[in-house]
Amino acid sequence: MSPQRWLPPALCLALPLAGMAWAWPVGLSPWRSASILSAWAGCGALLASLVLMVRDPRLAAALGGLDALYRWHHRSGTVGYCLLLIHPLALAADGLDESPRVAWQTLSPLAQDWPEWLGWLGLMLLMAGLASTFMPHLPYRRWRALHYLLGLGVLLGLMHLWAILGGSLGVLGAIGIALAALGWRLVVSDLGALARPYRVSAARHPATDLVEVTLAPCAAALPATPGQFVLAAFGDGEGFHGCREFHPFTVSGIGPGGMLKLDIKALGPCTRHLQHLKPGVTLRLEGPFGDFLAAAGDGPQLWLAGGIGIAPFLAVLRSRPPARPTHLIHLFRHADDAGFSDEIQALAAGSPNLSFVPVASGDNPPDLGPLLAAVPGLAGREAWLCGPPGLNTAASRALRQAGVPPEAIHFESFEFR
Amino acid sequence: MMKKLFISSTLLFGVSVAGFWLAAALTPEPVGQTAVAAPTEKRYSPQEVAKHATPGDCWMSINGQVYDFTAYLPGHPADPAVIQPWCGKDASEAYRSKTRGRPHSPYADTLLPKYRIGELTAK
Repeated sequence: MSPQRWLPPALCLALPLAGMAWAWPVGLSPWRSASILSAWAGCGALLASLVLMVRDPRLAAALGGLDALYRWHHRSGTVGYCLLLIHPLALAADGLDESPRVAWQTLSPLAQDWPEWLGWLGLMLLMAGLASTFMPHLPYRRWRALHYLLGLGVLLGLMHLWAILGGSLGVLGAIGIALAALGWRLVVSDLGALARPYRVSAARHPATDLVEVTLAPCAAALPATPGQFVLAAFGDGEGFHGCREFHPFTVSGIGPGGMLKLDIKALGPCTRHLQHLKPGVTLRLEGPFGDFLAAAGDGPQLWLAGGIGIAPFLAVLRSRPPARPTHLIHLFRHADDAGFSDEIQALAAGSPNLSFVPVASGDNPPDLGPLLAAVPGLAGREAWLCGPPGLNTAASRALRQAGVPPEAIHFESFEFR
Repeated sequence: MMKKLFISSTLLFGVSVAGFWLAAALTPEPVGQTAVAAPTEKRYSPQEVAKHATPGDCWMSINGQVYDFTAYLPGHPADPAVIQPWCGKDASEAYRSKTRGRPHSPYADTLLPKYRIGELTAK
């Protein structure tokens, strides 16, 4: 684990601790103290979650990669929400000393005023928005709309804080961090204010439900390297109207003049629509992100790709023949999903270091045991996996059982939306 | 793990809120709690109230009643700089406007009797 990977969890710990230190209660009852501390710890965790949501290539590289940022964004947001649930309950518990009626009046929105209603509304929006993040089968656009509720919930919570405490340094600092993170995410990331303009120069269909587009930069090109991915929002062209949403795609080829190739699998409404892409369509790119294969060692390699997970390996092979013994296994369901087998076979024929095994596994999970057993010197290879999470997990387990050390197994998964 | 944490904490929160409501509903309503001064109750002049003007000894008068908020001050949600200047003074208008044009909540009204120590006299 690279040192930068510790930075997101450190941030998720530092901001709640800073909030608690700033508001540390003195001379209050235990329940009232717990209420104040849980509120500020939850607020700090949510602020960390907002900071980690900022989708910027430099920030992602500095903090260990976009996948780590998103993972800790999710964790910190969930923990922050749970801490905030303690806040009103602890306040009510403080009233139990007097009577259960006083405790309920402390809690009941009917006995409160609009500053408290802001807090309740913020908490309810966090509850609804967070619930949606645990629904992986929710359509992307509905998921995204519900995700915006989380940002609104945080803002309402901070307004609650301001209404109760006034514009003190801690409150203004929290509001400043939240507005900066939300503003950056909305304007720069979601609206693509700093995205680079590109144009589709060619489109072909190497397999069923798969389009490969060649992109030419209209201005300065993104400094992408093989193994990285970009976020692309496709616009309009002759006879084509894009969905204009930023989606992640791994770069599958890099050419002269900043030319990029992307392979787009039809996995949702937008990517299905993108199967009709034509030359001339304009788009905007953000990135590049990721460092997959960047730290590959000098020893023999095992590359295992599932479906469209072949893209980063393809980008490397298209840029140069492998300098070290490399065994590439490409798993796909059916022969018409293979896509690039002919091209990779041709590259392997011209490269003595590359051996290529395409496998059509059908609709059932592939039997990895025999496949891995056939890899020469498996235990001494460095393994790079790129595919659906289920395949990565199963392959990682099988590799460890075959004697490959855990530190020699590297993942690239497609988990974030 | 995060999903389990979310579901269990949300359910626990809902059960706790319902528990507070139920406990309040099953508690008999208090009788005889009133802010009206009894004949034998202590009466304080504004000058007497003004003698208690520090955070360690903080009296205020609100709507004709005198309160000793010394014990409450650390628990007041707002910044101490908001409430402490009212120690020793009549805070009726501040209580009504909360300095930003809005009154205190009904919950705040329920806290007042706990700190009331007497009635304010005219002089």
